[in-house]
Amino acid sequence: MRGNFGRILLVELRGDRVAVEHVPLAPQVYRAFVGGVGLGAYLLWRFAPPGVDPLAPAAPLVYAFSPLLGTPLTTTAKFAVLCKSPLTGRISDGLSSSRFAIAAKRLGVDAIVVRGALDRLSWLHLDEDPAACRAVPCPAWAGLSAHELSDMASKQGLFRHVSAVGPAGERQVRYATISNDGRHAGRGGAGAVLGAKRVKAISVRGAAVAGVADAAGVQARARDLAARSAGAATEKYRALGTAANLETFDRLRILPRRNFQTVSIGQAAARRLAPEGLARAAEHVRESCAGCTIGCDHRYGGTRVEYETQFALGPLVDVDDPSRLLAAAGACDALGLDTISVGGTLAFAMECAERGLVDWPLRFGDDIVPWLGAIARREGLGDLLAEGTRRVAAAVGHGSERFACHVKGLELPGYEPRAMQTFALGLCVASRGADHNRSGAYQADLQPGVDRYRADVARAPARVIEAEDHAALLDSLILCKFLRGAIREPWREGAELLTMVTGLSQGEGDLRRVARRIAAVRHAFNVREGWTLAEDRLPDRFFDEALEDGASLRRADVAAMVDAYHAARGHVPHGGPDERLRRELELDAWLTDTPPLQAPASLG
Amino acid sequence: MVTVELYGVPRLRAGASSVEVPAGKLASILHALASALPGLSPDIIRDGRLSEHALVAIDGREVVADPERVIADGATLVLISAAAGG
Ligand code: SF4
Repeated sequence: MRGNFGRILLVELRGDRVAVEHVPLAPQVYRAFVGGVGLGAYLLWRFAPPGVDPLAPAAPLVYAFSPLLGTPLTTTAKFAVLCKSPLTGRISDGLSSSRFAIAAKRLGVDAIVVRGALDRLSWLHLDEDPAACRAVPCPAWAGLSAHELSDMASKQGLFRHVSAVGPAGERQVRYATISNDGRHAGRGGAGAVLGAKRVKAISVRGAAVAGVADAAGVQARARDLAARSAGAATEKYRALGTAANLETFDRLRILPRRNFQTVSIGQAAARRLAPEGLARAAEHVRESCAGCTIGCDHRYGGTRVEYETQFALGPLVDVDDPSRLLAAAGACDALGLDTISVGGTLAFAMECAERGLVDWPLRFGDDIVPWLGAIARREGLGDLLAEGTRRVAAAVGHGSERFACHVKGLELPGYEPRAMQTFALGLCVASRGADHNRSGAYQADLQPGVDRYRADVARAPARVIEAEDHAALLDSLILCKFLRGAIREPWREGAELLTMVTGLSQGEGDLRRVARRIAAVRHAFNVREGWTLAEDRLPDRFFDEALEDGASLRRADVAAMVDAYHAARGHVPHGGPDERLRRELELDAWLTDTPPLQAPASLG
Repeated sequence: MVTVELYGVPRLRAGASSVEVPAGKLASILHALASALPGLSPDIIRDGRLSEHALVAIDGREVVADPERVIADGATLVLISAAAGG
């Protein structure tokens, strides 16, 4: 098999010591899970002790690579980061692009599993040569942003590519991110997990190459994909970036404002925050992730802005000044905060304060930059806000849970579910909580013939499942989702790419089963960690408060869609995969409780 | 008349944010739009049909694709990029 190394690196941290071990993986693992979020979900299942506290030393943090990583195929310089989320207590899987991804795979492994914890804040160096792996205490680096750290390290010649946490990760803010050469992973708080292990930064050194089975085929396909990636299907990302969504969504009345109280900020404000408005506020340049021929990375005054950040630090907290929004986005980058979760938590706190439930000095429209610093350092009220919306609501009480906008503890992304009722289902059932990336069911609501203001109990479950499975395919291969418009037949092309790279022949049907298996393992993980059907729900606001145009969700409809989704997925009522699904996807072989491997012998 | 509002790539390509065209079937509206705003051809409007890269919604609510669909006088159509994700 090419494209993979057939082994992972198990890293055990204890005191000031690091022990590493190469653990072989059978070829069947790659057939069953491919890589990325699929391989990562399997490894998380195997290495996380059931019921583990996500911030305890025993909780694993998984970096999972993919077979396409390291090939010349566009948008493949990505990896997945997985953990049990400290925000939700459920599975968390994020993706990140970066040169770190390419460098880390050259360790000669397909994943890194980090367990244990160090005594002091340290820099963890991982090396192709196990004897060269080490932890170096770095107290002087405390409080540095990942960017400052990279600058300093490259000036001193310490390392070039790094995966690191900012101040928020060090303080275990429950929605802290991990920054990888400036790109973040970690909706759900992977940065807090790395921070809890007292790892400030991970550097890597290696020269291993996994190779590909059909080099000429891969080269030809790389040229073809690059050409397609320059076409009309991806023009929005190149020309404007996802920030162009804001004005469009305002017009479609799906742009959440003021903690999901309304759905529009008005045309003038929307134009101020649109790409043209941002470019008037600060110098605009376009960049791209490593190895990407699309280049959707639009920066204004050096700060990367994409739609979710723009929504969460703008309309959601009622900020319509582009300079303020850019300052907040820059601060989140530096501090290592997930923008959706921090914006959602602040918006919730603002509404609590405006309703008089608390006497916090927070109002919609305020400059949030000082609050971001307080949250990242857990200072004053920032300490509570660092816990995320669900826990803040529990502390505030007085019925505030009604408008605490999260699912499973994860704050909602920027799409109004009352006006996108297929997506409402996607939010309820997504394994990592309110999520737009592992599902993308919002696409279904913007199709001809779909009444997005109606809960279609008969058809919505299949639409959500298709969106989830499509995302699982792209996220395990890994290909950037922004390439999807240029790939007309993703299952066929995915199978071809995989066969060309690995030499293991896989067909469309195999990959469809892989996607369903990934969904099943995620769900099984959540069931093991305490999931109940009651958490597949949206907050009361979306049922009890109609939008200006009268749109709202009906509890009975959403409950019926959720039930139909689980039945269609093959889950037993209120539980995990049913007998048929277990057989069909050979889940019993994968969802074994056999302890994976003990700590490397060198730690005793 | 029907007002067509343009967002995202369609607006960028057309160089206009709004235009009025005679009411009628969606196919005739798209023809009129392509004539009025040549920058929309061929990537947004091709052979009188919307390409897969764009969507059009009546008053931003109902996404329509049927070329025979009659768009009433006074209606507003919202033309957006098909790639909605962020
Ligand atoms: S399209 Fe954007 S997010 Fe995707 S790989 Fe390219 S620059 Fe990165």
